[in-house]
Amino acid sequence: MSAPRKQHEKLLSRGLQFSFLLALLLVWYLATARWGVSRILLPAPATVWRELDDVLRSGEFLPHLRVTLIELASAFAIACTFGLGSGYLISRTRYAMAVFEPLLASIYSVPMILLLPLYVLFFGLGSGSKIALGATVSFFPIVLSTIAGFGSVERIFVTSARSMGASNAQMFRYVLLPAALPVVVTGLRMGFTIALLAILGSETIASFAGLGHKIAQLAEAMETARMFAYIAFAVAIVAILNIITTALERRVKLQ
Amino acid sequence: MAKSDVAVRIRDVSHQFGEPGDARFVQALQRTSLDIRRGELICLIGPSGCGKSTLLNIIGGLLAPTTGTIEVDAKPVRGPLPHDIAFVFQENALFPWCTVKENVMLGMRFQGVSRTEQEKRARDALAAVGLNDFMAHHPAQLSGGMRQRAALARALSLQTDILLMDEPFGALDEQTRIVLGEDLSVLLARAAKTIVFVTHSLGEAVFLADRVAVFSARPGMVKASIDIDEPHPRKPSFVTTEKFSDLRNKLYGLLHDEIRKSVESAAVTELNA
Amino acid sequence: MKENSQRNAVVWRMLIGRVGVARLAAVVAALLFWEVAARYRVDPQFLSPPSRIVLAMPSLFETPGVPAALWTAFWEFGVAFVIAVAIGLPVGLAIGLSRLSRQSFMPIVLLLYGMPQIVILPLLVLWLGIGPLSKITFGASHGVFPISIAVVAGVQNIQPILMVAAQSMGARRWQIFRWVIFPHMIPSFFAGMRLGMAGVLLGVLLAELYVSAAGIGYFTLMFTQSFDPSRLLGLIAVLAVMAIALNVALRRAELHFARWRTD
Repeated sequence: MSAPRKQHEKLLSRGLQFSFLLALLLVWYLATARWGVSRILLPAPATVWRELDDVLRSGEFLPHLRVTLIELASAFAIACTFGLGSGYLISRTRYAMAVFEPLLASIYSVPMILLLPLYVLFFGLGSGSKIALGATVSFFPIVLSTIAGFGSVERIFVTSARSMGASNAQMFRYVLLPAALPVVVTGLRMGFTIALLAILGSETIASFAGLGHKIAQLAEAMETARMFAYIAFAVAIVAILNIITTALERRVKLQ
Repeated sequence: MAKSDVAVRIRDVSHQFGEPGDARFVQALQRTSLDIRRGELICLIGPSGCGKSTLLNIIGGLLAPTTGTIEVDAKPVRGPLPHDIAFVFQENALFPWCTVKENVMLGMRFQGVSRTEQEKRARDALAAVGLNDFMAHHPAQLSGGMRQRAALARALSLQTDILLMDEPFGALDEQTRIVLGEDLSVLLARAAKTIVFVTHSLGEAVFLADRVAVFSARPGMVKASIDIDEPHPRKPSFVTTEKFSDLRNKLYGLLHDEIRKSVESAAVTELNA
Repeated sequence: MKENSQRNAVVWRMLIGRVGVARLAAVVAALLFWEVAARYRVDPQFLSPPSRIVLAMPSLFETPGVPAALWTAFWEFGVAFVIAVAIGLPVGLAIGLSRLSRQSFMPIVLLLYGMPQIVILPLLVLWLGIGPLSKITFGASHGVFPISIAVVAGVQNIQPILMVAAQSMGARRWQIFRWVIFPHMIPSFFAGMRLGMAGVLLGVLLAELYVSAAGIGYFTLMFTQSFDPSRLLGLIAVLAVMAIALNVALRRAELHFARWRTD
C-alpha cells in the first residue's frame, strides 16, 4: 500500500476514535440535561468536574490515597520477598520446578478474592487484611516468573561459566541474574498491578479506609457526583502507576 | 467454437510494486510476452526475484498487471478463474483445521461443485496422488511431501484445463523432490492439462517440461526458451542420459549470468538501504 | 548396613521420583501443617483445621439460605458468561474483520480493558440494585474484553496464503468468512473464553461479596462476624472447587478445539 493511503487511513481511524469518545460525552450530557435521567443516578458532567476540582484542591483525597499506597507498598514488598526467594530456590533443580510450578499455576487459577473474608476474620477490617490479600495475589505472578526466568537460563551459559571457574556467587551475579532479569521484571510489574487491583477491590468490599472504601462510602451516601470524581481519580492513579511501572520495566530490559 | 491452440497468451506484461521514488519500489516484470500452447508443460526458471511468481499470479488473475494483457482461452483475465485455473502454492496452503479429504472437498465447494460429485472427485484425486490411507488426517500430521501431494490432489479435483504450480517442491528435501517429480510426470501424462511450473531447480525443469522459459534478472522478461523433446511420462532413467545433461548444461549457461547479476544487484540494494 | 541404605535410596527415589507423587506429597504435607497449626497453635476463633472444615460441611449446607446463595451465584455466573460471549464474539468479529475498524477501535478496547473495573462496582450496584442484575452485569463486563480481544487476534493472524488459495478457487467473501476465517479463529476464541470465564467468575464473586445484604456476601459477613471459621472456609472451599472445575472444563474444551494447531 502506498504511503499517502496509509496516512489517510490513520487520520480516518483517529477521527473515528475521537468522534466515538465525543459521542459518549455527548450522550452523557444529553442524558442529564435533556432526557431527564435522574441527577442522583447520573450527575451532569459539569457537576462531576466541579466535585473533582473540589476534591483535588481541598486535598480530601490525601488520607485515602496514602492508605491505599501504603497497603500497596507493603503487600508488594512482602510478595517480592517471598516470591523472589522461593522462586529462585525452586528454580535450582529441574525436579523442584516440575513439582511446584504446575501446583502454583493451578492455585493461581482460583480467584484469590475468596480469601478476603478469611483475612478479614484474621486481621480485621483494617489495613492488615488488605495487605495480606494483596501480598497473596501478588505472590503468584512473581514466583512463577522467577521460576521461569531463572529456570530457563540456557544450560550452555552455566556450563561455560563453570568451566571458566566461576564461583556460585559469580555465577549468580554475572550469568543467572542478567539472563533471568527480563522475565522476572515482567513478573514484578504484573504482581504490582494485580496487587493494586486486589487492594482496591478489598477496600471496596470490606474496609474503613482507602480509595476503594471512599468510593463505596460515597455510593452508600448517594453522593454520586463526588463518587464519580473519586472514580475518575482512582482510574487516573492506576493509569499513572501503570505507566510508571511499564516504563521502569522497559528501562531495566533495555540495559 | 474450437479452442485455440494457445491456452495462455501473455502480451507485453509489465508489473511494478509501489511507485517510482518509494523506498519499496520494485519493477518486477518488464514487457514480458509468452505464448503457452495448450497441453504443454512449460517451466519458468530464473534467478530469485526475477518475477516468475509474480507472472504466475498475474496469469491466475490474483494480480492485475500494471500494463499489458493476459488472455486465457482468448478471454481477457480480470480476476481468479476457478473453473479454468487451479493453483498449487509453495507454502502450505492447506487449511490446517480440515482433514486432507475436507481440504480437497472445500476447494470444490468454492468452485460450486455438487456434494456427491465432491465426494467422488475427492476420492479419485487422493487415490491418484497416493493418499488413500491419509484422507482423515490433518495437515499437521503429514510430512511436507505428503502435504504437497494433498495440495496437488485439491488442484486436480477442480478439473481445470490449466494448472499453475509455484515452486511446489521448493520447501522439500532433494529425495522427496525426486520422487514427487517422477510421480508428477506420470500423473500429468494421463491428465492432458496445460501446466505452468515455476522452479529454481535446473534438473527439475529439464525432467518435467516440454519447454523451459528462462527469465532474466529483475526486471524480469523471457530471455530465451529451450524445447525438450522427450515423450511423457518421463522415465527416471531420463536423468542419466546424455540428452538430459546437454539440456541441463545449456540451461545452466543461460541462467548463470542472470543469477550473478541478480545476486550482485541485491547486494548493492542492501548496501544502499 | 550399606545394602540396606542403598535399597532404601532406590525405594525413596522410586516414590519421590514420580513427580506427580511428589506433588501430592507436598499438598498433603501442607494440609497436615495446616491441621496441626490450626488445632494446637492458633485460636480456634480465627482458623479451623481442615478436618473441622470437612466436618462442618453438612451444617454449612443446612444453614438456611446457603444452598440458595451458592446456586444463585452459579447461575448468575452462567448467564453473565453467556452474555459475555454473545457480546464479545460479534464485537470481536466486527472489529477484527476490517482494518479500519481495528485501527480505530482496538485502542479503545484495550484502554477499557486496562481500566480497574472494580471502582465501578459501587456505582453499578447503585444503578442496578442488590439483586442478580448488578452481579450479572459486572461479571459480563469483565468477560467481554478478553473474548473480543482474542477473537480479533484469531481473525487477524490468519496466514495470507490461505486467503489467496481460497480466492484462487473461486470463494466469495461470505464463503471465505464461513469456511476460512471463522474456523481459523475458533482456537483463539476458546482461549479467550477461558480468560473470559475467569474474568466473569471474578466479577460475579466481587459483586456477591460486596453486597452484604443477601447472597454469598451476607453469609461471609455473618460467618466472619460470628467468628465461625469452619463454615466460612467451607463456603470458600465450595466456591474454590467450582472455580477449579470450570477452569478444567474450559481448558479441556480449548484443547479439543485447538487440535489442529501446530504452534
